[in-house]
Amino acid sequence: MDLEKHLPLTETTYYILLSLLEPSHGYMMMQKIEEMSNKRVKIAAGTMYGAIENLLKQQLIKSVKSSDKRRKTYAITEKGLEVLRLDCARMKHMIQVTENLLSDSSAIGGDINV
Amino acid sequence: MFKFKFFLDFDKEEKWLEDMARNGYHLNKASFGYHFLEGEPEETTIKIDYRRFKYKEDFLDYCSLFEDSGWKHISGTKNSGIQYFKKDTNTEEDDIFSDYHSKAARYKRYSSMSFQLAISYLPLLVVFYLTDIIDFNAFVNPKELYYTPGLWDKTGTSFWFSFLFETPFALMRGFAWSFIPLTMLLYLFFSIKSNRLYVQKSDKEFS
Repeated sequence: MDLEKHLPLTETTYYILLSLLEPSHGYMMMQKIEEMSNKRVKIAAGTMYGAIENLLKQQLIKSVKSSDKRRKTYAITEKGLEVLRLDCARMKHMIQVTENLLSDSSAIGGDINV
Repeated sequence: MFKFKFFLDFDKEEKWLEDMARNGYHLNKASFGYHFLEGEPEETTIKIDYRRFKYKEDFLDYCSLFEDSGWKHISGTKNSGIQYFKKDTNTEEDDIFSDYHSKAARYKRYSSMSFQLAISYLPLLVVFYLTDIIDFNAFVNPKELYYTPGLWDKTGTSFWFSFLFETPFALMRGFAWSFIPLTMLLYLFFSIKSNRLYVQKSDKEFS
């Protein structure tokens, strides 16, 4: 199973997977994502519906039994969880490299300023 | 009030429906034209999505998601494809899409649906051809389509009366099948046109 092909995840996809660590329906996911991202990422209904459809197709999420007849409930799959972990590791590495390089260059920059 | 109009560009259709609401005509139902209810003029936001659903539960789930996020589903059914939404007065967001890509994707869905419809007529066309309902001979010798005995020996008023009387029936007999290729062409045209809109609108992101 080649999980690398899903990477890098878009910000929207990343947050959607994150919002489904606990089963939720579409609108709950939208609210959770807004909260997690400090109101920076707002996914509109039409975009959310399309994203859910795509993730179901890619089997990163699945539909689970719901007590609410009008709202489907979704949860992340094993595969989705693995992809989420991989993308998190990818970003961790990027952050580490960036921080190291930026702290080096700020030292150099300081020298030039003096 | 009923109005007949046809749009391929959802953005233009949304604008037009908003203009109508501004003049006091509120969309009640859209299927082969638009049915409006007269009322107070209103500044409102109307948005259109294109989706068809296999199961009723899927359609209900879809409508609930929009209504939960402050968009009233005003017209559209499980199979109608075009879905109309009206913004609730206290909704913050101005659109049902939050990125260009998903906003443009509705044209892609419309295009592939039209293409599928065009193709779905193909078997019928083949069957009609094989059963001789489609008879190209009628182009060469249209006289064969007239069944009135002795029609071509008649003269003057008597001929013209019989001839004109039978012409609509003769046309039906010979060319009724042509609605199939015509419909196919129409759907193909819709498909190509909306695919072009899809390409245009997804390019917007970069311009």
